[in-house]
Amino acid sequence: MSSATASLRLEEPIAGITTSSHAGGSSVTAKNVKKIYDSGLQAISNADFHVSAGEFVSLLGPSGCGKSTLLMMVAGLLQATEGHLSIGSEAIDGPRKDISVVFQSPVLLPWRTVLENLRLPLEMLNLPTEGFEDRAQHLLNITKLAPFADALPSELSGGMKQRVAICRALVHNPSILLMDEPFSALDAMTRDEMALELLNIWDKEKKTVLFVTHGIREAVFLSDRVLVMARRPGRIIQDIKIDLPRPRTLEMQETDEFNAYVGILRRSINASHEV
Amino acid sequence: MLTKSLTRLRGQLAQTDRQLWLWPALTTICMIIVWEAFVRIYQVTPVVLPAPSAILRVFVDRYELLLTNLWPTFYQIVLGFALSVVGGVAVAIALTYSKVFERSAYPMIVVAQIVPKVAVAPLLVLWFGMGDLSRLALAFLVAFFPMVVNTAAGLAAIDSDTLRMARSYMGSRTKIFTKIRLPNALPHIFAGMKISITLAVIGVIVAEFVASQQGIGYLIIWSNGLLDTPMMFAAIILLSVVGLVLYGLIAAFEKLIVYWQT
Repeated sequence: MSSATASLRLEEPIAGITTSSHAGGSSVTAKNVKKIYDSGLQAISNADFHVSAGEFVSLLGPSGCGKSTLLMMVAGLLQATEGHLSIGSEAIDGPRKDISVVFQSPVLLPWRTVLENLRLPLEMLNLPTEGFEDRAQHLLNITKLAPFADALPSELSGGMKQRVAICRALVHNPSILLMDEPFSALDAMTRDEMALELLNIWDKEKKTVLFVTHGIREAVFLSDRVLVMARRPGRIIQDIKIDLPRPRTLEMQETDEFNAYVGILRRSINASHEV
Repeated sequence: MLTKSLTRLRGQLAQTDRQLWLWPALTTICMIIVWEAFVRIYQVTPVVLPAPSAILRVFVDRYELLLTNLWPTFYQIVLGFALSVVGGVAVAIALTYSKVFERSAYPMIVVAQIVPKVAVAPLLVLWFGMGDLSRLALAFLVAFFPMVVNTAAGLAAIDSDTLRMARSYMGSRTKIFTKIRLPNALPHIFAGMKISITLAVIGVIVAEFVASQQGIGYLIIWSNGLLDTPMMFAAIILLSVVGLVLYGLIAAFEKLIVYWQT
């Protein structure tokens, strides 16, 4: 058993709410993962990767390359046909307390206020709610949503709703955050803003993040590493380390270094198309 | 949340109050005046078309007869409706959660929905007798199906991401049902209730036509036999008002419960 898992175990009773000194997240490992749907469609032919605790890794690829499928398998919402997926040294056999998922749409419950929406994971997971208010307030402060704690989702903009969804995913202090194209439904300006905010949260909360996207610039901007995927069948074709300094700024996107990474990734994706 | 939705409701009412009530009220008053004038000018016999003033006189002079017949009809409507809501929601839940039940019962429910329930009324009297039970049975029968269909549609109308989100937090079936599926189905359930309440009124009246010694439906048939058309009009108007009030109550309740929908 790795130390990451052991420390997670120790923290579990209080992990529910407290902003504990959760130093780093847990690691995610995939070994020879295959996914073949009942229809015979091969979604993933072979996926091998490792995400270290506290790392920000993007899965980048064209639509239909199985990147969301892969993410859902890590989330324990889909089963791999073959291969092995684990958190630390524990095999993934279903949804877990220490993993949270942010979906493409915010999927807030429209009858609940922002604060009540944030409480949902605790209710579902049967976690104690003491300390919830402080934790929720802290997250709403980071995401500048504090004045909207009692608002209904219908009163919020698209970007604000997705920020609430991110807060909800963090409220029980999981160590791993899985994000499935969380900004793809937002306009370009909001997307930049959200990316900065996500990095800010990641910096403060020290989570392991696996981020699915088809945006090359978004992947470069956010990630420590980018796993490039190709389709038919879905597979990981490249693992590129993004050596840009932290904290990242929007101005960085103008630099040659940044654009060099964008070029490398674009060529990598294009090459996979030609085969 | 309740106080919040109450203030919201009050705000909405204050805003639309005037436009909402003023014009329909004016139209109604105009129509009544034209009706009254028409009957007086052309001296229409009250057996064919009584004047509004004649109908009003029935309400004033014979309110006791109207009220004693209103009560049985009213409580049968409410009871039949309530049963259809409880039964309809229960069956819809069973349809949603049991594949076996869905496969075996759903075709039957669809077929039963096509059968004109009103035509079954004499059969119900044969089975349940002349008493309250046959009226209740018909009210339930006509009001039941819209509840089943709407509730089942509501329970199914949940997007897959919401369910995946709930599952990702290891939500149990029961919790997903009570905290997500059921509240999500509420707008559909209310849509069903609004259909069911009007159908329950029809159910009770038709059953009273077929076999009854009391109730508004009986009063209509009885006054028809006596060529007491003003009484018939009074009974029909009273029945319409009851239906309107019940519908209005459900609509108001809906605004309160389903406050997140605009």
